[in-house]
Amino acid sequence: MDNNQRQKGAVRVEPHPKRQAKLHRGAEQFRLNISDQGRSYLRHHQEVARFSFFSLLSSPLTTFMTLAVLAISLALPGALYTGLMNLQQLSQGLDSDPRVALYLDLSVNETAAEQLSRELLLRDDVAATELITAEQGRIEFKAQSGFGEVFDFLDQNPLPAVIMVIPRDLSVVSIPLLQSRLQELPQVDEAIVDMEWVQRLAAFIVLAERAVWVLAALFVMAVLLVVGNTIRLAIESRRDEIIIAKLVGATDAYVRRPFLYDGIWFGIAGGILAWLLIQISLLLLSNPVQKLMQLYNSQFELSGLGFIESIVLLLISILLGLLGAWLAVGRHLRQIQPR
Amino acid sequence: MISFDNVTKRYPNGYDALSQVDFSLGQGEMAFLTGHSGAGKSTLLKLIMLMERPSNGRVLVGDQDLATLANNQIPYHRRRIGVVFQNHQLLFDRSVFENIALPLRICGFDPTDAARRARAALDKVGLLSKEKLNPVVLSGGEQQRVGIARAIVHKPQLLLADEPTGNLDPKLSEEIMRLFQQFNQVGTTVLIASHDLGLIARMPHRVITLQRGRLISDGQ
Repeated sequence: MDNNQRQKGAVRVEPHPKRQAKLHRGAEQFRLNISDQGRSYLRHHQEVARFSFFSLLSSPLTTFMTLAVLAISLALPGALYTGLMNLQQLSQGLDSDPRVALYLDLSVNETAAEQLSRELLLRDDVAATELITAEQGRIEFKAQSGFGEVFDFLDQNPLPAVIMVIPRDLSVVSIPLLQSRLQELPQVDEAIVDMEWVQRLAAFIVLAERAVWVLAALFVMAVLLVVGNTIRLAIESRRDEIIIAKLVGATDAYVRRPFLYDGIWFGIAGGILAWLLIQISLLLLSNPVQKLMQLYNSQFELSGLGFIESIVLLLISILLGLLGAWLAVGRHLRQIQPR
Repeated sequence: MISFDNVTKRYPNGYDALSQVDFSLGQGEMAFLTGHSGAGKSTLLKLIMLMERPSNGRVLVGDQDLATLANNQIPYHRRRIGVVFQNHQLLFDRSVFENIALPLRICGFDPTDAARRARAALDKVGLLSKEKLNPVVLSGGEQQRVGIARAIVHKPQLLLADEPTGNLDPKLSEEIMRLFQQFNQVGTTVLIASHDLGLIARMPHRVITLQRGRLISDGQ
C-alpha cells in the first residue's frame, strides 16, 4: 500500500496549514459564502423562534402548567421585594424627624402648658414645638383609637398635655442630651425620645431584605429546575431528530437553538404572568392599606413595580428561562459527544 | 480518502471492537466492508464519522487526521460525509422532501437552492413523485432510497453505508447497490458495510474483511 505510506510520510513532514487549505478546496462543492451564511443564520433563528412558539402553543396544558409554576416562583420574591420597598419608603417618611415628646405633669393647666411651649421655642437647641393639649389629646384618641367611650366613664381626662419638641441638632449624641435637659424641667413628668420604634423598624427591614434575597435565591433554583425539566422532556420527544441532525453535521448551537427559544418564550410569558400576579395582589391590598394609613394620618400610598423594576423582572425571567434550557440541552449534548 | 493506521478501539468494559486495523481507501474507490455481526464494521464506520474516537492509532479522512479535530469541528467534518443507515433513520414527523432537505438546512443553504437540490436527489433515487408523502407510508425499499437521497443531497466526497440492504429482498438489494455504483461512477468514494456475501460476490468491487475486530483481508 504505497499510497498509505506516502500519506503517512506527508503528514509527518507537512505543517498543518497546507493540509487545511487542501481540505477547503475539497469542500468547495458545498461551501457557502459569508453573506449567505449570515442570512441562513438569521433565517434559522426566525424559523426556530416561530416554530418553538407554535409548538409550545400546540401543547397548551403542559405549557400552562410550566408557566404557572414559573410565574408563581417569580411572583413570590417579586411581591415580597415590592412590599419591602414600600416598607422602606414608609420608614423613610418617618425617621426624618426624631422628636422629644414631653409629657407634662397632670397639674399643669392649659395656659401654663402653652406658656411652656412658647418658652421652649426660644431655646437655642429647639427648632420647633407643638402643643397637644389634654383636650386635643382626648379628641384625637377618641377619633382614632375606637376606645373613645372609655372617657365617658371617667370623671376627668387622664391624658396629660404633651409638647412635641423637634430638636435643632438631630445627631444621635445631642438628642439624648436635650432629652435629659428637658426632663429636668419641673413641669415635665417624662421626656421620651420617639425613636426606638423607628430603629426597630429599620432593623426589621434589614432582616426582611436578607430574607427576601434568600427566598429569591431558592425560587431562582426552582425556576431553573422547572424550565430545565420541561426542556428535558422536549428534548426526549425530539431525540431522533437531534441524533440525525448531529449525524448530518449540525453544530451544537444548531441543535441547542430551538430549545433556547423554548426557554426564552417561557421566560417572557412567565415574566409577564409574574408581573400580572404582583400587580393584581397589590391592587387587592391597596384599599386596606390605604384605610390603615388613614388611621395613621399618613399620605402613604402602596406603589407597585415601576417601569424599570418591571423590565428587570422580565429580563431576570428571560435569563432564567434561557439558562435553564441551556443547562438541560448541554447535559444532553454531552451525552452524545464521541468518546 | 480514508486511512486507518494501526487503529484499536477498546470500550470501557475492556472489549476490543477493533484491534490494530490498517487499511486505506483511495479517492473515488468503492469497497465493501464485511464480516459477521460484531466483527467491528459499525465501529469502523463510527470512527470515520467521529461518532467514536479510537483508543489507539490514527484515522485520516481526506488527509485530515481526525485526532486533531476538536469536538466543535466535528459537524464540519460530518458535512463532507454522507451516511446511509440500516434502519434508514428517517423522521416520521415530516415529509420525504423535508427529510432530504434537512442536511441542506443544517449546512445553511438558501431555501430555493435547497429545494432544487433536494428534488434533484429525489429524482436520482426515483422518488420525485413521492416528495410530499410522509416516509411512514413508503415501502422498506423506498424508505431506504429516501435515506440514500438524504445522504447524497449535499454531494459528499465520501459515502458510507451501514447494512443498507439489511431488511430488503435480493432484488431490491441489488437496486440499492446499483444506486451506490452510480454515485461512485461520478467520483464519490463509497464504503459499504454489509454481510450479504452473495450480493457482494456479484459486484466487482474491493472487499475488506473484518473478523472479531481484526482485519483479515483488505482486498488488495
